[in-house]
Amino acid sequence: MAKTAQEKLDEKREKEYKKTHKKIYRTKPGDVVFNVLNYLFFILFTIICIFPFYYLFINTISDNGLVKRGLINFYPKGLNIDNYLALKGVNDLGYAFIVTITRTVLATALMVVASAFVGYLVTKQEMWKRSFWYRFLVITMYFNAGLIPWYLNFAMLGLTNKYSAYILPAIVAPYNIILVKTYIESIPAELEESAFIDGASHLTVFRKLIFPLSKPILATVAIFGAVGNWNSFQDSLILMQNNSQLFTLQHRLYIYLNQSSNLGAVMSMGGAAAAAAMEQALNAKVIKYTISMVSIIPILLVYPFMMRYFEEGIMLGAVKG
Amino acid sequence: MKEEKTEVKGALGNVYIVQRIATLVAVVAMFFPAFNPAKVCELVNENLSLFTSAISYSSLTSDCARAFRVGWIDESVFILLFVASIIMLLGIILAIAGGCMSVGNNKMQKTGLLFSIGGALLIIIGAVLCIAGYTMAQGAAKVERVKPEFPSAIIIYIVVSAVILLLSAFLYIKLPKPAKDAKFEIESKYKLFLMFMPFAALAFVFCYLPLWGWRYAFFDYKAGSTLSMDNFVGFKWFAYLFQNAATRADIVRVIKNTLAMSALNICTSWLPMMFAIFLCEVKNMRFRRFVQTFTTIPNFISWILVYAIALAVFSTDGFINTFAKEFHLMSEEATGHNYLMGDSFTWVKMWLWGTWKGVGWSAIIYIAGISGIDQQLYEAAEIDGAGRFQRMWHITVPGLLPTFFVLLLMSIANILTNGLDQYLVFMNAQNKKTIEVLDLYVYQLGISGGSIPLSTVIGMFKSVISVVLLFAANGVSKKLRGESII
Repeated sequence: MAKTAQEKLDEKREKEYKKTHKKIYRTKPGDVVFNVLNYLFFILFTIICIFPFYYLFINTISDNGLVKRGLINFYPKGLNIDNYLALKGVNDLGYAFIVTITRTVLATALMVVASAFVGYLVTKQEMWKRSFWYRFLVITMYFNAGLIPWYLNFAMLGLTNKYSAYILPAIVAPYNIILVKTYIESIPAELEESAFIDGASHLTVFRKLIFPLSKPILATVAIFGAVGNWNSFQDSLILMQNNSQLFTLQHRLYIYLNQSSNLGAVMSMGGAAAAAAMEQALNAKVIKYTISMVSIIPILLVYPFMMRYFEEGIMLGAVKG
Repeated sequence: MKEEKTEVKGALGNVYIVQRIATLVAVVAMFFPAFNPAKVCELVNENLSLFTSAISYSSLTSDCARAFRVGWIDESVFILLFVASIIMLLGIILAIAGGCMSVGNNKMQKTGLLFSIGGALLIIIGAVLCIAGYTMAQGAAKVERVKPEFPSAIIIYIVVSAVILLLSAFLYIKLPKPAKDAKFEIESKYKLFLMFMPFAALAFVFCYLPLWGWRYAFFDYKAGSTLSMDNFVGFKWFAYLFQNAATRADIVRVIKNTLAMSALNICTSWLPMMFAIFLCEVKNMRFRRFVQTFTTIPNFISWILVYAIALAVFSTDGFINTFAKEFHLMSEEATGHNYLMGDSFTWVKMWLWGTWKGVGWSAIIYIAGISGIDQQLYEAAEIDGAGRFQRMWHITVPGLLPTFFVLLLMSIANILTNGLDQYLVFMNAQNKKTIEVLDLYVYQLGISGGSIPLSTVIGMFKSVISVVLLFAANGVSKKLRGESII
């Protein structure tokens, strides 16, 4: 809905723009130069942004022999998906996947429902000490006790090395609550009032009216939350120190990346040992690429469809006031 | 749960407040390992709260495998403790229910008081069972290994629940009997609050409770030990920070890195605005959306993945080197250059990565701002003969300045916070000196190095300064623009 509206608006603007600007711009040579340079810059920058992803990808689907010789630079050769199949054999990756996927789904779902519900509650003027409690939530965005007290807190609560440490802290997300609240406030109050007159309770109004009506913003919040959870690394790194089965995908990837044997050092060893180490290092390189790719792909897949939600989110956040 | 009641007034209302506070104490204490009544001997982990003891038998007995096997102590003691914990947990839950119901109407309150009484009784029963567990532990086969100790928390719980019990009974007698046909009702404002309460509790536990960890700054604490008055050192670590030459040198270096990288970011914070302005000069909408879509992608991948990409492109066998070899800019046999190692230009490199990751995304807000500018302004300027750059400078830029200003103030308020991930992943032996920012330093000192008190002190300074800066920025914003940014 919003997308088509946006596109329509874009088209309309474009037409208007052309109508008013065409004559003037076509005639000036300076504008041609400007446009060429401008387009060139953006093309170049876009390439810089996406080429690394493309480079990773073609290296994972090409013939490993060629990759090792560094011959895959611009297009894939010897297409195969063996590297992706080989991931089955990589230690602990399965756990990391399960942990990351389940935590992303669980934490995001809970966060979305909680944000919607709390967002709805804080719009209710009659709530006992509403503005105090709203501030109580919002203030947490601007202040934190620091990394070490944060960690000690989890230790004190007995949540270190526990799966629930991924889920529980993610439920209340102040920024998302603000987004939802702003959105709910824009829903005409008459809708709710008529439901209350018909005798509906707060819970019913929330379930049957507010929740369905705020789906667009909830989608935005869900996407933000899901990306955040998928990318989360710090909690795994600090809270799960003694339970490697609960490491997230990003944490695993970090470990693999750091295992990289320094190639320069390997080569200076010389002889058969160097050759073997080299072989191993290069295989490791492709495997690393593949794991990276696997962690990026979900985001890349989701991304183009979700672009508008991201934009809506940043816009709503800007007007929060 | 300690809110005022509108229906029960005067002395009875005060009694209610005391009863609710007592309930709250019991609830909060449940989550603190220091107040675990089940910790009757050394074998119970000291980081275990009553709540954890009640929901997980395996946590309760986590340190006991050997003790059970060798027969120092009979497992029945722990089963008893587990049952006692569960009973206390149930009692506390009942007391919570009673406390919540106390904001309702008369009928609700009467029933709620019964809940509170029942809950208090259960807590006392649980506490007595814990005492029994303690006595049993004293009779263990190898007392010197088991080291029984009487948990003072038992006394606390008994006192608190006795208070709840007595007050609830008193209120129950004093409150008038509800009418036969009365219904359970809670006023709408309290109902809303009760629904909100669980979330407030979560926010409290994960955002406010960490402040309690600041007490570690005043103790001589080593990971794994306990806090007690014996290792209380007052402001020793605060002084240490300034007196110890090595630490002081470290701090100066780290602050320099932090400020330099923040300054680079702040000085170039107009880049996204420029990006947006020039992108909006592109008249082909399809191309614009294409650029916008692809330049924002890097914002959504984690720093670990950015590092993975950095390795793929800049490491010894990465794209730059293989590219150079393929096109014979470098001999086939030469060892590639690893651009990620080395400590030259670390600040600029980090800034470049941050810009690569963030500029497209940060531009979105400005792009939206540009589409909000009145088109008539441009037309009028054009008629007046303003060129492209004049229009940009005199119309677009002033239109975007308020947004820019807010973001600038926010980044100044966050000058000490660069985040941990980026610097952690890009750190290596060679660039450690120039890449360590405050967040990374605290992480390394506290988590990797185990200097919990010192890193807590540094974190405290950072938090306080950040808040002061935020309020200062807010004050500036209020003064200059009449608008608050927080």
